Amino acid sequence: MDEERLVKFKQVGAITVGKVRAGSVLDAMNVTQFGEQAMGYVKRHPRTHLLLDFHRVDYLSSAVLTELLKIDHACTEAGGTLRLCSLNKDIRKVFEITNLDKHFVIYKDLEEGVKRHQRSIDVQAQEQAWLKKKKV
Amino acid sequence: MTTQAFFQREFASALDEVGGTLQDALAALRERDWIDAGQEFYARLCLEEALVNAVTHGNDSDPSRSVRIEMAEDGDVCVIRVFDEGEGFSPADVRPPDTEQMDGRGICLIRYCMEQVEYDASEHCLIMKMRRNALCQGGSRNG
Repeated sequence: MDEERLVKFKQVGAITVGKVRAGSVLDAMNVTQFGEQAMGYVKRHPRTHLLLDFHRVDYLSSAVLTELLKIDHACTEAGGTLRLCSLNKDIRKVFEITNLDKHFVIYKDLEEGVKRHQRSIDVQAQEQAWLKKKKV
Repeated sequence: MTTQAFFQREFASALDEVGGTLQDALAALRERDWIDAGQEFYARLCLEEALVNAVTHGNDSDPSRSVRIEMAEDGDVCVIRVFDEGEGFSPADVRPPDTEQMDGRGICLIRYCMEQVEYDASEHCLIMKMRRNALCQGGSRNG
């Protein structure tokens, strides 16, 4: 059922925005559901450029960080990318304490996330085209 | 110094048992003015990480084993003890995991937030100490 989904996916250009709709909690009790939904999407859609939007999330625990690392590995292996946006200051702090702010690309908000994630994909495509041309 | 327990709870080792205990423990900390609104996120984080670790790592998610939490006042320090029936570990030996590792971040978060964190092997309990409204203000954080 749609109301039970913790992540709602929407395509914006080349970017898939995954709005995390966990309300006030994203903890050890519902993290499995979150991971399964996001991972399921990535597996069904290889080469996904996923931007997870945490605007509605007030809290998360280390269990979510583990799920995000798994999703990130799955995205990379399938030729895609994972980016995050709209973390509140406490959640941002959790990433900093665990040094994961250096691993994940984190954007301030959805607007900036879509724009800059799209830009990074465009730059990567241009570089690949240039390298291909150079080889020929 | 005598300690005055103001909260005690015991539950079977299952993740869906954690939520209710967590909420009640947070309410007890609020009632006793150990945390204000700005500290609630970090208090919840530490309690949840400790309780989930006790369930999943300590007791191997075996519902026949139990987890117990006790919170007590010791002068101007709040002492939180989380008991499990597992083998135990040394919080000081848990290093911040790299991105290839899936576990170990919970105890790093607790160490960052709490003033002091230790494991009493004889009692099978994780002991966390905090001062009033002073989470994330130094103490046990050492990377």
